[in-house]
Amino acid sequence: MSQKRTFFQNVLLAVAVAAVLLFSLFPFIQILSTSLKHQFDWGNPSLIPAKLNLEAYRELLGLDHKDRAQVPQTIKKLLDNPLLTADQKEKIISTYQSTSDVFPFPRYFLNTFLLSASAASVSLFLAVFGAYALSRLRFYGQRIIQRSILFVYMVGGVLLMVPLYQISVKIGLARSIWGSLVSLLLIYIIQTLPVSLYMLGNYYRTIPYSLEEAAAMDGCSKSGAIFKIIFPLSVPMLITVFVYCFIIAWNEFLFASVFLRQFHDFYTLPLGLQSLFVSKNAIWDRIMSASVLTMIPVLFCFMFAIRNLTSGLAEGGVKE
Amino acid sequence: MNISLAQSESRLGWKLMAPSVAVIVLLIIYPIVYNIYLSFFDVKLTGAKVFIGITNYERLITDTAFYSSLLTTAIYLAGTVMGTTVVGLLVALLMNLQFPLRNAVRTLILLPYFAPVIAVVFGWQFIFDPVNGIYNHMVVDVLQLTAKRHNLIGQPKTALFVVIIFDIWKHFPISYLLILAKLQSINKERYEAAAIDGCGPIARFFYITLPELYFVLGTVVILRLIWNLNKFEDVFLLAPNVQTLPVFTYYTAFTGIIDQGLAASISVIQFLFLSFLIFFYVKKVLKW
Repeated sequence: MSQKRTFFQNVLLAVAVAAVLLFSLFPFIQILSTSLKHQFDWGNPSLIPAKLNLEAYRELLGLDHKDRAQVPQTIKKLLDNPLLTADQKEKIISTYQSTSDVFPFPRYFLNTFLLSASAASVSLFLAVFGAYALSRLRFYGQRIIQRSILFVYMVGGVLLMVPLYQISVKIGLARSIWGSLVSLLLIYIIQTLPVSLYMLGNYYRTIPYSLEEAAAMDGCSKSGAIFKIIFPLSVPMLITVFVYCFIIAWNEFLFASVFLRQFHDFYTLPLGLQSLFVSKNAIWDRIMSASVLTMIPVLFCFMFAIRNLTSGLAEGGVKE
Repeated sequence: MNISLAQSESRLGWKLMAPSVAVIVLLIIYPIVYNIYLSFFDVKLTGAKVFIGITNYERLITDTAFYSSLLTTAIYLAGTVMGTTVVGLLVALLMNLQFPLRNAVRTLILLPYFAPVIAVVFGWQFIFDPVNGIYNHMVVDVLQLTAKRHNLIGQPKTALFVVIIFDIWKHFPISYLLILAKLQSINKERYEAAAIDGCGPIARFFYITLPELYFVLGTVVILRLIWNLNKFEDVFLLAPNVQTLPVFTYYTAFTGIIDQGLAASISVIQFLFLSFLIFFYVKKVLKW
């Protein structure tokens, strides 16, 4: 329809688009803005910081001298008191230094990254072959497997929370940190495997059969065709599925909180952020900059995979 | 060589499928069954358990907290599902129009959906913060609707409302994507024909667009019901005092007076609801 819009309609359209953009993006702008503000500026509704504050970022990324940033003014005055011995001063300072470790961002980042990347890799590896079988081959029991995958794909993590915890307690995994990490890894794999199978299966179906038939004529076996034809053709989709699984694991909070609660050094970012928020060290600029830093890898993946991701999602390949 | 082609294909199929099937059976199907089993036991966090029959279920149906959680879940589902569908539809209709930078806008508004829940909830907390938040600034200082500042997230009743808004914000992109994909597939000639026949834009919407969208709207509604019934993080992290079923289960299983058997029985009930929804989805939407 090539209808010309009147001026009034154009204004209306612009306002509507602006409103949708504002609704979608305002919380992000708010987070970024607060992460860059000084405390005196928090109550100010303006989104542009009166004075730029990078302290929180520097502290989180470990670029700051620990002792200086943490000791409050009143305590600094107290430390100037000549009556205190060096030993006592040391003690006072150390109580403040310990809190600076409360959110070791680089460490949590690494934990989350390793866990998410491993889960996404295993899940993708399993799905590459499983999805091929589901979409291109005929085998006994295929229908029931297909339906079961669709079914488990929609069973949320909450429903598996108690049994999975009890199972890992029973076989002794929940007792040690490594056992807990293994449990968590397995859980992230099952949270991403059904959706990987589903997304990849849908994609494989779009690859013409004639390609495989031609390869078969040239003497290529069925399993050879996976590596020589299907694999190379679906690289963009493989990356997309990997990214999607990675994001799911990166964002996961529930099971991390169940399995890692007592192992502070192995917290993932979501768990670390939540415990920072409820701790006495909760300061808005610190929370917001931690939020921004947690978001960055996801946004990076998002930009990278957006094209394939949206078409995959529009076909219903969603896991939440 | 007496294996037929079909047989060898079937074997290959199983070989390729086996690892995935093993993982799914062991770590999803078995836990679901084990969960039902656990719901008949008094289960300690340490794994010790005593058979108590249907006591857990009896306790649930006499527990007012359970009913209040059911009610919260119902309100939450009704609000979020309607909200996401309506906002998704309106945005999809808007994004189907021609305007400059349309592709950039289409992509940007997907951000809420992809951003980690944990990284955005605190931003929302800040917006509704009684001291610093923009919400109270607008309502109290600028618009002067109320005289005193409210801590909306602090009270369970109003917090539920904030959670619903948050959830709509977070998930309208996915319903918009599904609806837009359908909108783009509607044949343009039908609109032109209708316009020639004298149909205005509103009539065209009701006679052409809406009938075409019935199916996808139904899909959006039922998928949102399924996913939102499973939602834990969005609710728990934004407002831990809003006890939808998953949050209620979490509290029962891991905090306060820990009762994993009782938590298992809540999960079983939730699972029954969910299975019904999934069954409906598979039958009506996927038509299997």
